[in-house]
Amino acid sequence: MTLQEQIRANRFRSAIVVFGFALLLVLVAGLIGLALDLSLGAVALAAAVVYGVFALLRSRSMIAGFTRAHELPPGELVPLRRLVENVSIAAGLPVTPDVRIVDDTAPNAFAAGLRPEKSYVGVTTGLLSTMPKRELEAVLAHEVSHIRNRDTYLMTMATVFAGAIALVADIGFRTLAYGGRSRKAGALVGVLAVVGLLLAPYAALMLRMSLSRRREFLADAGAGEILNDPEAMALALRRLEVDTTTVRYAEASTAHLWVESPTERVGSHGAGILEFSSWFNTHPPMRSRIAALEEAGGFRLPERLPTDEPFATEVARIR
Amino acid sequence: MPGWLWILLAVAGVVVLVAAYGYNRLVRLRNEAGTGWANIDVQLQRRADLIPNLVEAVKGYAAHERGVFDEVTRARTALRQATTPGSAAVANEGLTAALGRLFAVAEAYPDLKASENFLRLQEDLTDTEDKISAARRYYNATVLRFNTAVQTIPWLLLARPLGFRAREFFSAEGDIAPPEVSFAP
Repeated sequence: MTLQEQIRANRFRSAIVVFGFALLLVLVAGLIGLALDLSLGAVALAAAVVYGVFALLRSRSMIAGFTRAHELPPGELVPLRRLVENVSIAAGLPVTPDVRIVDDTAPNAFAAGLRPEKSYVGVTTGLLSTMPKRELEAVLAHEVSHIRNRDTYLMTMATVFAGAIALVADIGFRTLAYGGRSRKAGALVGVLAVVGLLLAPYAALMLRMSLSRRREFLADAGAGEILNDPEAMALALRRLEVDTTTVRYAEASTAHLWVESPTERVGSHGAGILEFSSWFNTHPPMRSRIAALEEAGGFRLPERLPTDEPFATEVARIR
Repeated sequence: MPGWLWILLAVAGVVVLVAAYGYNRLVRLRNEAGTGWANIDVQLQRRADLIPNLVEAVKGYAAHERGVFDEVTRARTALRQATTPGSAAVANEGLTAALGRLFAVAEAYPDLKASENFLRLQEDLTDTEDKISAARRYYNATVLRFNTAVQTIPWLLLARPLGFRAREFFSAEGDIAPPEVSFAP
């Protein structure tokens, strides 16, 4: 499949996933209504919708808050902004996304925003002081790919839906725990409700995680295409793999946003027996991401990383 | 109605649907390429707009190098007058060559090279050149997609009568297609 076909398939899958999440939400609310109280089910659903709308409206600033990303003051780091501009032009984005900075020594980056016009790319200061320009550009292209492929939209939706489902399941549990069983439901329905409420948040989580992993491969390939240089992306990934610092303010709730999993070392996770645990990983192993790029680009990464000057040093020197 | 008429109607319906899909696809691809070209055009314009200031800045220090100034100005005019992607790419290369000679002249004047104004113009120019090459990557990729659709069956059958023509790449060396990145998950 070419990249364009992949992107189209991606958008189609997005629609299905959003539909699946909505279905799961209604199912959980329905279970509550069936096992406990019809009106309680309706109330829970309404609460979930209110929560969802609020979270969607606030998602931009919420993500910035979670990740501690602050806006770049005008006139600061103009070369970085220019890199983002160039990458956006090459990707065919209608508008250049804003740049935000996370003060953290761990090299990492993320993209956020519901629509391309209102998106931004967040980079850590550690990324700027680790990556040479060529690889930094690849990481930025990876994030811009996420924006172009509407991954940021889907992941925001997925996060909000997962939250809403957890909220509804929680309402159900609390009512169960405090003996709010007012309906004369059969034992089977009761058991079903408990199991359903127990599993729903995990189902949502798993759906969300599997979603983000597939998209990482696509964004890697997209970055390779945007820059016409898949090797740069592979080199950047290798450099991230070698680096072992983790992002301080990373939370599980925003893990899927970053270019590299910010909380744990992903490189060690293999296939095989560990397959189940890897369902909950937000990112595929670095090794398979690099291998996919090598295959697409027809190259092999050198044993040792290039020792080019990091971007931050270059900018400071020119000044 | 006899059975064969129903079949005929169904086939005609399917053909119309497929044609509508194909037409929409061709229009979408053509619009993408149009946007891609507009992106390049903006940057070419910006590059051309920087030239007079640059020439003035160098003139202040090396007024006697008239030949180089004329050459740069001519190349700029050629770029502004270029209308097709191919000719614009050639004119853009011409301007690059002329600017190379202008900067070679500037090398001989340390005061000029250190002047704030000249440094800023040089930086803006480099930035614009980077953006032209970024816009070119996008444009050429969209053209490749559009041309492939126009030149292959089945949309070929639709493109010819409806006037969809293959577009020119933004390339000084003729029709050089950018490599297609294919990706197996």
